[in-house]
Amino acid sequence: MNYQRFVASQSFVMTAGSIVFPFYLLFIRNIGDSYSQFGLAYGLFALTAALSHVWIGKLTDRYGDRMMLLVHAWGMAGLMLLIPISTEIWQIYFIQIVMGLLGAVQKTTEKTTISRFTEPATAGKTIGYYHFWTSIWPAIAIIATGYLIDFLTIGSLFYLASLLYMVAALKLTSTLNRN
Amino acid sequence: MNRSWIILVVVYILSFSFLVHRYTQLPLIVEDSGKLLPTSIKQIRSATDERSLQEWIQAAAKQGEKISVAGMQHSQGGHTYYPGGIMIDMKSYDKILAYHPEEKMIRVQSGITWEKIQQHINPDGLAIRVMQSQNIFTVGGSLSVNVHGRDIRYGSLLDSVESFRLLQADGSIIEVSRTQHPELFNLVIGGYGLFGIILDVTLKLTDDELYQMYTHKIDYKDYASYFKEKVRANPAIRMHIARISVAPESFLKEMYVTNYLLYEDQSLREKYQPLKKETIIALPKFLLGLSRYSDWGKQILWDTQLAYFQSKNGDLITRNNVMRSESQFMEYENTNRTEVLQEYFVPVDEFASYIDDLRKLLKREDLNLLNITIRYVEEDEQAVLSYAKEDMFALVLLINQGRSAKEVEKTQKVLRQMIDVTLDHRGSYYLPYYPYPTKEQLHRAYPRAKEFFEKKTPL
Repeated sequence: MNYQRFVASQSFVMTAGSIVFPFYLLFIRNIGDSYSQFGLAYGLFALTAALSHVWIGKLTDRYGDRMMLLVHAWGMAGLMLLIPISTEIWQIYFIQIVMGLLGAVQKTTEKTTISRFTEPATAGKTIGYYHFWTSIWPAIAIIATGYLIDFLTIGSLFYLASLLYMVAALKLTSTLNRN
Repeated sequence: MNRSWIILVVVYILSFSFLVHRYTQLPLIVEDSGKLLPTSIKQIRSATDERSLQEWIQAAAKQGEKISVAGMQHSQGGHTYYPGGIMIDMKSYDKILAYHPEEKMIRVQSGITWEKIQQHINPDGLAIRVMQSQNIFTVGGSLSVNVHGRDIRYGSLLDSVESFRLLQADGSIIEVSRTQHPELFNLVIGGYGLFGIILDVTLKLTDDELYQMYTHKIDYKDYASYFKEKVRANPAIRMHIARISVAPESFLKEMYVTNYLLYEDQSLREKYQPLKKETIIALPKFLLGLSRYSDWGKQILWDTQLAYFQSKNGDLITRNNVMRSESQFMEYENTNRTEVLQEYFVPVDEFASYIDDLRKLLKREDLNLLNITIRYVEEDEQAVLSYAKEDMFALVLLINQGRSAKEVEKTQKVLRQMIDVTLDHRGSYYLPYYPYPTKEQLHRAYPRAKEFFEKKTPL
């Protein structure tokens, strides 16, 4: 994996996440019965992430950044497919736990990858550009989604995000990215 | 290792196809504002134009599909949907087709809300004749349940309808009025969407007027004679509403009435013309919340309401602004419970003894009553399913209950007894709510129900 492919991959990841995030919240709200269930669902995500961070950090050192990023991208691609057919709150709790784990993977590995690619002297500039590229596409996507949402069902948004996550994974697959 | 991506992609594509297919097979569950009848239906179709509505109905007739018509779905008995049926959502079928302010007439598509009409006619100094207290409902829906409200001078909604166009089950569209297809005129109004889809309605409007509000306390025993002598007999009083206490200390004894008197100086009307928006929501919502869960809450709500309305004594308000009562503060989000309405009609002269009997019943039985408003309906038996067999008071009860089958049964037991008491006083009950009444009670309240169903069957 070279740096360019990493940035491209994470751009797709951020775009997919930004598209579905607000609608995912609405989705949980509709399935859940009360605000306390909603809070619990949301909290499970954060709690799982927090508790798994150390373990995931160690895994990253052992298996390498690229492998962990692939796990994250494919994992999210699969998870996005499950959301539209979820109807019970326990299914949402399960999805939140898995998303917490995957989220922790992405959060850690993003940082370790950048740190391994970066010179200390130009760290700020590198990270600045990284954030630019991984923010601009989501921003455009969110605005576009706002216009398209009248024509799309909520389900199709999750399928779109799933495809984007898959592309993110393929971006990290070296035989496909010979250039 | 490098070829593993091909396997992953193939697995992904298979999962994608399978799960998308699952998604399209999910049952479509709908429910109305009563939240007691979640039902699986086949499809929801949003009405856009007459041509496509006609095509849908013709196709449905050929294929033996069931069609239901939905407006804002505030009827609470599942009237707007049918198991396995196609629900036609009329909310976007809401254009104003013709408007003649000089003749005080307007022709609208049935999915339009009163609010939208009010926004349109208010600048011309015109107002609606008959409608509910709130304006969030569709005209088609309002016609289908034959609504009534605070107005006491214009008779029933039926009286303000000039004509309407009906899309029948066989796909034909006809004009219905007192001279054309008159038998359908009285069947469709108050007909709960069972005779076809009302496409558009021509309504008679009236002048917007400036009223002065007066609220005062009254004992329930004095209400009937007070109403007859002081309200109905005074033509200057154009609108009227009353409320009876559900608070423990004054339960079904203390009342207060609000009268809307025609103000002597109508030239001030334009000053009060701008349509009001619902601004104070937090406090009423909070007080209503307190009253749901405690008796002292109910007492606080009653006392606060009375004080509030008394503070508005002498306030000036236009007719259009009276006809846009607040409803947002009543929104209730709870998984296990819901708030339903029941409405009982009782002849004016039976009022005091009816209240006495109700009080006895409710002191024995357990029912979380949050509010009772009282409106007047003049005798009107034009609609086949009419409720105003004499001049009556209409009591609208707001009840908080659980949603489980056990809770529904518990509530049903009490309400059926209340309906029996109502029927024993020559009264009736209103049909747009959850079907708590028994079939016998239905036929007792609506002696022409059999005739109604017989007219429906050949269609």
